[in-house]
Amino acid sequence: MYFAGIDIGSTMTKIVIMDDEINAQVIGPTGAEHRHLANKVMEEALSKAGIAFDELTYVVATGYGRINVPFADKQITEITCHAKGVSSIFPSARTVIDIGGQDAKGIKIAGGKVVNFVMNDKCAAGTGRFLEVIADALGLKLKEMGELSLHSKEKVRISSTCTIFAEQEVVSKIADGVPIEDILAGLHEAIASRVFHMAEKMKIEKDVAMTGGVAKNVGMVKALEDQLGFPVLIAREPLLTGAIGAAILGKELVIKALEKGEAIEKGARLLEAASFFK
Amino acid sequence: MLWFAGIDIGSVNTKVALFRDGGPPHFHMIQSGANYRAAAEKALDEALGKAGLSRNDIVAIMATGSGTPRVDFGTDQLSDISCSARGVHSFFPGVRTVIDVGGQASRAIRVNDEGKVINFAVSERCAAGSGRFLQIIARVLQIDIKDAGTLSLKSSNPVIYTTGCAVFGESEAISRVAEGTPKEDILAGVQNAIASKIANLIDRVGMEKDCAMVGGGALDIGLVKRTEERLGITLLVPENPQLMAAFGAALYASHPQ
Repeated sequence: MYFAGIDIGSTMTKIVIMDDEINAQVIGPTGAEHRHLANKVMEEALSKAGIAFDELTYVVATGYGRINVPFADKQITEITCHAKGVSSIFPSARTVIDIGGQDAKGIKIAGGKVVNFVMNDKCAAGTGRFLEVIADALGLKLKEMGELSLHSKEKVRISSTCTIFAEQEVVSKIADGVPIEDILAGLHEAIASRVFHMAEKMKIEKDVAMTGGVAKNVGMVKALEDQLGFPVLIAREPLLTGAIGAAILGKELVIKALEKGEAIEKGARLLEAASFFK
Repeated sequence: MLWFAGIDIGSVNTKVALFRDGGPPHFHMIQSGANYRAAAEKALDEALGKAGLSRNDIVAIMATGSGTPRVDFGTDQLSDISCSARGVHSFFPGVRTVIDVGGQASRAIRVNDEGKVINFAVSERCAAGSGRFLQIIARVLQIDIKDAGTLSLKSSNPVIYTTGCAVFGESEAISRVAEGTPKEDILAGVQNAIASKIANLIDRVGMEKDCAMVGGGALDIGLVKRTEERLGITLLVPENPQLMAAFGAALYASHPQ
């Protein structure tokens, strides 16, 4: 039996297909012009796994774009899916810090289940978006920013909270001749501190797993570890934990139904474009 | 002749007011650019040139505005909150609450019957409460910020912004444009979002009538209208709302209270 998890985030669409282990994983952009292309990402994942769409026993959609995916059987919130996905990879994790392209979440877990969560999706500061805006302003690639920040000898405090004002502050610091790595180290600290204080509201417990696209940024990982005072766990592909959790939750639902001899409730299952504006 | 100058070095524009007792004031405004000191010198010299005056005619210069602490300029310096209040008081002595919407921050100011500040609140941590949000959206819509007010009045179905963040608001505007939402509805939505931030500021200081709106934001008649609707009152707007702090500074230079 094959199960698919599809996590449609604000920036990236992630799909995992698995039976007992992961058969295929694909990460494609959600971006404005790709919004309607979640089905294309699914087709790519199916072809990687070497199976036909009909061979999928169950498809679970999660993430901010999970509604209106016409080929999903069920929608589950990304908080639940992240908790499940992280627990399957790191059974010792008690706290998940997920920093995505447009939001940041702190999730407390026990036994693979969510016991508490906090979230910021109201303000770009403290999300991946903050880094993107600054990267654009400085003409740097996101990946370079984190690496450069590690070379800082004397990090500079960024006093602005707002992304727009911070962008201005950065530009004027560059004009003042402040080394770019020191500015970047300050920026990473600013985000890490914001996310840390948000997550600390629910009392962070060890082990801490970091997920989301921002976990790929070495500068952010270091900045968050500095705030926490201990190392974090990071999956080989930190973007995929939501999709993995979605696939596993689908599999658990099906197994439970089979054990009880109940029918599996499925969606209409049309492999066509998702709509976000219905 | 005894002239006094007020200079308001703002984040976006630098404004000069030249004042003497018993005569009409002169005003001048230029963009602040990256060098506040140079902008202040240039704005003052151009203002004097326009008025046919020289620096020798100026008795005292009062500097104000967010750029002021970074430059050594003027005979004295005073906060833009005090200057804004004083400027408004000279035009509308009955005003007890001033809403000042600047390029980078908004302020709600409570004043007494002498035009002195008794309480204030500032939104300087977040761009979504200031004129900056409107500028960002005007750029997305490819319209001149000066036309935003008039255009927005045509809106019959303002977009409801799900975010209170200028960065996310920009993305939302881009999506709306792609969907074909009329520009006026997007603008009206942004004005509503700013008006609601202004209402939060007013809640912090309390409101007493009359209430005036000044700063560059008050040039946007759409924003004035949406704020009036949000607060349920009529706002007084002086002829040159963006020059009130400079004018108040000139008054302080001539008659320290």
